[in-house]
Amino acid sequence: MAELSDIKNATIRAEIEEFVTRPEEIARNVALFTRAHERMQAIAAGIIDGDDDLVDKLTTEAIEAGHEALEVMDDGLIAGMGVVGIKFRENFIFVPEVLACARAMKAGMKHIEPILSASGVEPIATVIMGTVKGDLHDIGKNLCIMMLRGSGFEVIDLGVDTSADAFIDAIETHGAPIVGMSALLTTTMPNMGKTIEAFIDAGLREQVLVMVGGAPVTQEFADDMGADGYGKDALACVSLAKQLIEAKRRNAPA
Amino acid sequence: MTSPLIVIGENIHTTRVLLRKGPRLATVDGVDVIKFTTVDGVESALTVPDSAKRTQDWEQGRVKHVMVAIDTAMRGGPEAALGVEYLRTMARNQERTGAHFLDLNVDEISMKAEGQQAAMRWLVKTMEGMTKLPLSIDSSSVENIRAGFEALSGKGQRTMLNSASLERLDALDLAKAYNAPVVVTAAGEKGMPDGIQPRVDNAAGMVEAALQRGIPLSDLYVDPLIFPVSVDTAFGPHCLEAIRALRLRFGPEIHITGGMSNVSFGIPARKLINDVFLVLAMEAGADSAIMDPVVSKPAELAHLDRTTVAYKFAEDIILDRDRNCRNFLKAWRKGVLKI
Repeated sequence: MAELSDIKNATIRAEIEEFVTRPEEIARNVALFTRAHERMQAIAAGIIDGDDDLVDKLTTEAIEAGHEALEVMDDGLIAGMGVVGIKFRENFIFVPEVLACARAMKAGMKHIEPILSASGVEPIATVIMGTVKGDLHDIGKNLCIMMLRGSGFEVIDLGVDTSADAFIDAIETHGAPIVGMSALLTTTMPNMGKTIEAFIDAGLREQVLVMVGGAPVTQEFADDMGADGYGKDALACVSLAKQLIEAKRRNAPA
Repeated sequence: MTSPLIVIGENIHTTRVLLRKGPRLATVDGVDVIKFTTVDGVESALTVPDSAKRTQDWEQGRVKHVMVAIDTAMRGGPEAALGVEYLRTMARNQERTGAHFLDLNVDEISMKAEGQQAAMRWLVKTMEGMTKLPLSIDSSSVENIRAGFEALSGKGQRTMLNSASLERLDALDLAKAYNAPVVVTAAGEKGMPDGIQPRVDNAAGMVEAALQRGIPLSDLYVDPLIFPVSVDTAFGPHCLEAIRALRLRFGPEIHITGGMSNVSFGIPARKLINDVFLVLAMEAGADSAIMDPVVSKPAELAHLDRTTVAYKFAEDIILDRDRNCRNFLKAWRKGVLKI
């Protein structure tokens, strides 16, 4: 069993010690960072610190030193973001800091993405995102998009006030396995249910996973209208998208 | 009490929450209750119904207390009168702290329009009888607003309409029909405004549309839309500069307001940020606010000490001088911002 003290990077050690409290999360992070190359640990520390210049520099150096793009993404960028997610969930850090971390993530991904796509590595999945019909509030949706892109998803942003037809067109055009819908208003929230009904009518419901979010949305409401999942914030949106896509791939015939 | 602002008190909203671990929640003989003191000084307790405990809010440590009060009162039963008392107390607390209008929003009471409208009708009738203040009928649905206006006795003072925007101009017709002062927002026809000029343009479009309908400038409350600085620190100056431009363009008669507490979403020490933002908004030309007057006392704003360290940190995030609110959060963690 790896111990916390086996982690070389002092920042990572201190972060786990101070902010990660659930035993399974401690175990997972200790195992991950003990295994990760020291350069990756430094990149993760840069992400946690929200330092985009540092992550930009360290990512470039790691690639030049011969590290695989996937290694940098998984052991550096995403590993760092995992700690950020825990700190945000536990109210140790706040929205501006999470956004700084996401920008640092973006600074790293900008070096990783071209390599991944050139070598034929596909994005995790394509996600269609939009606020529902009648709803013009897109701050939350835009944060979700930023986090999804930073975590290796391709995102098609349909913007605001998205009709069911526009969602359906985008699902068909891009063959996207996931749709994310957002609503800030109680009065527009029922349009999520209507959009899901339109997916059923269009014969698309079986092929697409629907995730929903927005201030008035709850898990109960998501269940009621037949969504596949609910995320309470932008980080929850990313973990939900990952869970949904993993479950889908596990259940799908190879 | 004199207030430098026309305060549209936003406390009677079904979105409002109390923390379960906060001082207002208690367990008495195994029953979860919300404690309050009635206007007659009687210590009372409103039972949290099971319906409120089956929610995600409850699990995450919050309870929508206004929702509980309205639900309890509307459902009838032994605690119905207590639910009404709860609302009366909320009205009185806002009267005392200097509210000029009581804003009512019940959009979250139900997923269905009929449920929302039934609650709005009930609440308008109930509140009319218990406050001397004019009401403000608030919804993102014009039909909910209409239901509220239809329920008015017509004998009281002029009721405010909150709100109309380019995407729902029919709300302006409603305001005209009921001779109502009206909040007009800077939301665009196709999306939220980005930057200063789109705010001014959208708001100007609304002012023009209102004037065409014969609604005078003095009945217009322009909301330039306040977005959280936690997301982008440029949002602070966007809003303040839009306020300045609107005041310059439309002169002293028009009112400039806004949902001021949006500014602090996603950051701790919200009251501090809200108070500093209110002061800066007033300085820019705002003469009204949609706000919680019990927490941010309007009468005290004019005397807010602008020389403190806390003030400086808050002003820096609002005026976009503190990237990612880094210094502010650092100071908060050190305990420097405790007020």
